[in-house]
Amino acid sequence: MTPMTCFITGTTGLLGGEVVARLVSEPGVGTIHALTRSPIIGGSQRIVPVGGNMLSDGLGIARPVRNRLAREVTTVVHCAATTAFSQPLDVARATNTEGTRRLLEVTADWPHVRRWVFVSTAFVAGLRTGVIDEADIATSDWANGYEQSKAEAEALVRDARDDWAIARPATVVCDDATGRISQVNAVHRALRLYFSGLAAMLPTAEHSRLDVVTTEYAARGIARLVMARDVERRAFHFCAGNGAMPLGQLLDATYESFLRAPAWRRKGIARPVRTDLETYRMFEAAVEDAGSERVRQAVRSLGHFVPQLAYPKHFDTTGADALLGEAAPDVASYWEQMVDTLIAAPATREVA
Amino acid sequence: MSAAPGIAAIAYALPAASPSVRQLAAAGALQSEPAMLERFGFGHVCLAVDETPYDLALSAASALLRENDLDPLSIDALIYGGAPGSIAFSHPRDAADEARGLCDVRRFQYPGTRLQFDLGMENASVLGLDQLACTTILGAVRVARALCIAEGLERVLCVSSEFYPAAAGREAITNCTSDAACAVLVERNSPRNRIVAGATVTKGYFWRAASMRDEVMASYFPTAAHVMRRTVAAAGWQPSDVDWVMPHNVSATSWDILFRIAALPNARLYRDNIARIGHTLAGDNFINLRDAADAGVVTAGDKLLLFAYGYGAHWTGLALEA
Repeated sequence: MTPMTCFITGTTGLLGGEVVARLVSEPGVGTIHALTRSPIIGGSQRIVPVGGNMLSDGLGIARPVRNRLAREVTTVVHCAATTAFSQPLDVARATNTEGTRRLLEVTADWPHVRRWVFVSTAFVAGLRTGVIDEADIATSDWANGYEQSKAEAEALVRDARDDWAIARPATVVCDDATGRISQVNAVHRALRLYFSGLAAMLPTAEHSRLDVVTTEYAARGIARLVMARDVERRAFHFCAGNGAMPLGQLLDATYESFLRAPAWRRKGIARPVRTDLETYRMFEAAVEDAGSERVRQAVRSLGHFVPQLAYPKHFDTTGADALLGEAAPDVASYWEQMVDTLIAAPATREVA
Repeated sequence: MSAAPGIAAIAYALPAASPSVRQLAAAGALQSEPAMLERFGFGHVCLAVDETPYDLALSAASALLRENDLDPLSIDALIYGGAPGSIAFSHPRDAADEARGLCDVRRFQYPGTRLQFDLGMENASVLGLDQLACTTILGAVRVARALCIAEGLERVLCVSSEFYPAAAGREAITNCTSDAACAVLVERNSPRNRIVAGATVTKGYFWRAASMRDEVMASYFPTAAHVMRRTVAAAGWQPSDVDWVMPHNVSATSWDILFRIAALPNARLYRDNIARIGHTLAGDNFINLRDAADAGVVTAGDKLLLFAYGYGAHWTGLALEA
């Protein structure tokens, strides 16, 4: 059987890098063409860097290179994204939506492509509540520009191709079950604000859960999606699902970790009040009115993420579990280690 | 039958001047925009010009004795809190200079002892309370109740008088502040306002008040809600039992938020004085209780929850049965 030739975007990102590392070890994968702004991305001869970026027409790939890719590539894996929850919608769209459109245009005339994997997010479900099936298509409102831009990109992919498969990971919070953190994101920044005592409230609803996963699990799922048969025209929730922690339990575990720091314990910092979204919005407005710039920034930062908690949802993972032969690790199995890591040492890179 | 100390009487004194928020802004006494402070519920404050803190304390305590026809000799103890030592006898315009009194023997001129003398409360031993900010009078009531129970005292008069020197402005963390004095009589067997329970949380971490405003602001709501719930639980009540909350007169907006997170489904908030007086350091909760009782909105048997925050930092709740 002829090994597949992959074209992958986002290989310098957290998930993309891990996906490449897994595909390299797959015997069914031959050459991996990696779109990158950097000239060198890895040590394997099977990884061929392709100069370009998601923001330029034609992805900024030189014509001869594009011709070669058109002749060789059998599988497209689109991991590139800007994942900051705080970015304005137009900024998120520029990379996530329009970048996807450009990639679809470029790959439209690559005749050998049989699999087009799009790495989306579970939170294209936006502000919907209840059980979110993998077959569901996002049509609702969203908590931030990131979610909306990814939902719009999903729609483009569905419309443009018949060979798509969509990976929808939950928010990645650490590398693996050790709790190691390679990249700090909105979840971590929220935890830091609660740790510093600058955050007072948390909007929640009954049955609120925080669905997060490890990089290891999400990358394993995406790599499997690249290799597996019969996944076309399906989306997969690479989420904790049943293993997501109820918010109360998650707060208990978080503050257990905080309390292990003696200096923090002495401060007597209060646990945030769990409240409904309307009260939280009143609090946000009061801070905008009367808070210092520091507190305003803290609350604005939370505002891109925590309101999602007031829209309780349960991601069904039936397809993903079948694909991987197992469910994601329970969040409770690594959450406290992750929090311990977060408050003990800074991570290597941050997403705004 | 065991003793049931309670609040037998309340009186308060406000200075004569009562400028509006807009007048304060025009005089440069505010940091925030007056429109925002009005949106937060503030209308007027009470401003001492010719009154000293002691004048106000004397006025409040005298009124309490007079209105209730009390023999001064029946007061077993006087607990005084508020502006300390020589400052207590100064006019706002002179307060900064009066701090010099701490350097000499004038530092031992105390308003508590003078009040005992001026009102003829010869049987009253005098205690002073300090460092509790806006929870001083609640702290005094706590001590008074303990004295009634532990030492069998029949009547303890709690007096608090606070002011801001003339140059200090009239705003504290987006709250408009008033000068005032409040007198509260705790009786061992009070016919009304039985003290059912109290709760206080002090967080020493916030002692550096000047530089920890952000952290204090963030901690305020969760800790306030916690103390209110703890007070209700200590009283043996359900949250739904509370009829009235007698607040400290900070921004109505902050109370709108706190009231929601405190989750007292049947309680009403007595908020009339936020616009009329603003926030007195001396005794918002009891000033409100007095006015609510006078207006007939609080009736015998009502379950009352008093809550105040003292910058520095103390969160205090008190449960009373009217």
